[in-house]
Amino acid sequence: MPNCEPRPVPFPLWQIERTEYEAICDYLALSPNAKLYERLSAYLACAPFRFASPLGFARFLAELPLTRFRVERLDFLTKSRFPGHPLRHALNAIMALHECSSEGYRELSEVPRGAATIPALAASGAGFVWRLLLTIPWLGWQGARYLVGAAPRGAASLANRIVLVTGASRGLGLDVLLECLERGASVVAVLRREDSVAGVRALLPPEAPVKFVIADLALSGALPEALQRAQIAPESIDMAVLCAGVKHDGESVLAVARLRDTFEVNCFSAAEFAAWLCGADHPAHAPANPRQPRPAPATTSAGANRSASARRLVLVSSIGRWHGMRATCGYNASKAALSIWGESLDMELRGSGLAVTIVEPGMFESGMTPRSGLAKLLVVPRRALASRIVSAAMAGRKSLRPPFWFAMLTWAVCIAGRGVRYRLFTRVKPAGGRDEPPAR
Amino acid sequence: MTRIVVVGSGVSGAHAALTLLERGHNVEVWDVGRDEAAFPEQPVSFHELKSSLADPVGYFLGPDLGGIIPPSANELLRYPPSRRFLASSTDPLWEFPSDSFAAFGSFARGGLANGWGANALCFDENDIAGWPVSISEMDRAYATACARIPVAGPVEDELSPELRSVHVSQPPVELTRTDERLLRNYLARKTRLRALGVRLGRSRLAVVTDARRPDACAYCDRCLWGCPRGSIYNPARSTLESCRSRGGFRYVSNRYVVALSSSEGRITGVRYFDTAASQVREEPCDAVFLAAGALQTGAIFLRTLKQARVDLPAETEGLMDTAFMKIPYVVLSRIGGQEDARAFQFNRLILGMVTESDAWPRYLHGELLNLTGMIYYPLIERLPFDARFSKRLFFALKPALGAATLFFPDKISPSNRQILLEGAGRWESVALRYAEPVEKEDYIRRAVGKVRQALSKLGCLTRDPIRSPPGAALHYAGTVPMGNGARRCDGNGRCNLFRNLYIADGAAFPSLPSKSLTLSLAAHATRVATHAQL
Repeated sequence: MPNCEPRPVPFPLWQIERTEYEAICDYLALSPNAKLYERLSAYLACAPFRFASPLGFARFLAELPLTRFRVERLDFLTKSRFPGHPLRHALNAIMALHECSSEGYRELSEVPRGAATIPALAASGAGFVWRLLLTIPWLGWQGARYLVGAAPRGAASLANRIVLVTGASRGLGLDVLLECLERGASVVAVLRREDSVAGVRALLPPEAPVKFVIADLALSGALPEALQRAQIAPESIDMAVLCAGVKHDGESVLAVARLRDTFEVNCFSAAEFAAWLCGADHPAHAPANPRQPRPAPATTSAGANRSASARRLVLVSSIGRWHGMRATCGYNASKAALSIWGESLDMELRGSGLAVTIVEPGMFESGMTPRSGLAKLLVVPRRALASRIVSAAMAGRKSLRPPFWFAMLTWAVCIAGRGVRYRLFTRVKPAGGRDEPPAR
Repeated sequence: MTRIVVVGSGVSGAHAALTLLERGHNVEVWDVGRDEAAFPEQPVSFHELKSSLADPVGYFLGPDLGGIIPPSANELLRYPPSRRFLASSTDPLWEFPSDSFAAFGSFARGGLANGWGANALCFDENDIAGWPVSISEMDRAYATACARIPVAGPVEDELSPELRSVHVSQPPVELTRTDERLLRNYLARKTRLRALGVRLGRSRLAVVTDARRPDACAYCDRCLWGCPRGSIYNPARSTLESCRSRGGFRYVSNRYVVALSSSEGRITGVRYFDTAASQVREEPCDAVFLAAGALQTGAIFLRTLKQARVDLPAETEGLMDTAFMKIPYVVLSRIGGQEDARAFQFNRLILGMVTESDAWPRYLHGELLNLTGMIYYPLIERLPFDARFSKRLFFALKPALGAATLFFPDKISPSNRQILLEGAGRWESVALRYAEPVEKEDYIRRAVGKVRQALSKLGCLTRDPIRSPPGAALHYAGTVPMGNGARRCDGNGRCNLFRNLYIADGAAFPSLPSKSLTLSLAAHATRVATHAQL
């Protein structure tokens, strides 16, 4: 079946839309040029691999859509305070590109000559001062907005880290892959089919540090074997985000073969991977022996420094794990198993330097959801969800349930009792899952 | 027949080979010998390329735009992405790890001379103080070198007494409007400037300017981007061609010389890496002239030394480079002035700062370069205003903008050297250790102060100087210097340890004067090849 999902912009933090390019051209008194815009886009697609990503307030400012007004404010601000800011790179590249065309150079170099030079310069200088004066209150306003919204953000760098992502061919997995690359990580991308590699590669510049591993998670032991074949050492992985999942919509929970497939992909593949990640000699991997004393929390540097910098295993479950659902072939049951198993694993791994983050997303934008009206307000954009997952894992959070209002609603329904859940969820149409169809 | 191997095809190697051929010997020049891509041929001007090329963006900024200088980079200018003659730490053959010395080299045919600044100057008696060579000997060698290299410059001007051994054979390059203004200002205030010790004159450049010649400079403003007419002297084009026209010459490419084999104080063979077959091989020889550039020559010498004399430390006697400072300036009377449609891109004026005492160095060389054709966005980005105002300000100032580059001499210092590293690679790497001597700082500060004063008297407004990191000047020397000691060579470049090994390049210089050294490299190589006992 052809994949009609729109191709995401790989690195939105760096990329600028055509209208934004036109705003910058307008500001610099240049004529927009479609060919130069294409070159600019290709250049900015490589930016995460050439330049450091902005953090904190600089990142907040980089996320603002660019208008002529904002370009005027941000230009001097990025030059004086945030020299590595994406807008600075975009402005620099736009001037470089236009300087290489005869028309662009003529426009750039157009200044009055002779006696008119000094008055013209004085007028331009006054314009600069005026722009600067307007920037001060605007900056105060943006600073206040940043402080109010700063808590849930977080954009630490993943430079020199290796992240493994499963289900990376599309959907949330692909967005997590792009997010990690944008933050400077090297990524091991696990895909089910070889023919998906070309599609992902086409999105990325050649210098993107991605290693592809092909493994069908429905097959027992496939992922550890594939990783071994690819000569990837477990200890080299700093973070693993297991996004792969399967959901057979419309299928009964009594379709046992499909049910087994669902559990294999959604739950057992995670267990197999975790065992590989922990290593054969890790206590978490050893057979349970209640008479054997539990190992004391490690006093090694890895254990002592258990923090945001520790290794993380991120399990992408679902908010649906809190209740049953008809005609999803046990999808919710598999996610419930994954969440509970993940929580158990986290307990066993205490002090080992590896910790588990469980993500239970509710409503998030699937790429096909129109970004308008109420949906824009209630639904978490998928790329934003990917960003939050990575930030939460780096911050050492144990669980994440975006959007929070939806988790509250789900819990309210659960607390209301089985009767309410029965009446509510038996009415749900079989194909109407809240999650997007997952990739595996 | 004696088998003579010259290692390297740059200025030193080419002139050593030609002199040996003139003496009747058979000569082989061994070289990595990479070819540079052809330059756009039509001598249209720099800015005209923007409309005449099919893909000007790819040409000026590189196919993947990797040539764009990032906004926060400490760079104003790079070699164009289309030029591929430079080698540095990213090159698989480049094995000079260093934190303190940002070195570059070249594996192209013609070496670093593929991208040199064309300034052809000569050392005088003060410059070579302490060398075991007389000035009359050097002068004879300069005369030979100047007969092979066309030099454009004035017959007589303010700097002639300091550069008397440069034999001019071509008319001087044309000046731009800003150059003319500076020269007029200088002549009007000559007395006061001479009192400061500063003299201004027209550049001596290794460029064909005689309009009757087909390879004469077309003033297309593309010197840095590769001269389309070959007007700027390049040993690969001219001196090596002269070698080829003689019998007994053989140019062998794809050979990266690693070390020399020796026995009882004589070199017996050359060990090289065949870059085409990726194999290390060895061939016998009777005499070797090392002319691979001071860094490579030093590295080959150290690997040879390690095999022959385990009792000696595997370190060179020295490592030198001329640190440079750029003083940006604005010629106030040229603000908002008309620009020149065509120009010679490199410096058309030079500046000499002369001290009256005989202390070394007596002469400090400077080059005045006002902006003509180049890509300007990095300069606009450096202005302390927003981009909209910066670009207007820059283009209003552009006809008046320039930079004075001062080159500071260097001496052999015990802390600055090459060190052979133990390693399990194909062959040993050579670390570069370099620290600017403290006493140099005072000299630099005083010199910069005087030149800023002089520029002010010439009607210029100057800004704080920009200093190059060690290694950036590419004027490397002194790794196997002339003098007494096992790790040195004699006044004729013959190695003190190996009787048939000659140091034909700047590695043999025991001090590094301020003046551009290319002509002196040619003169030294000529002299070494003339006196070699073969």
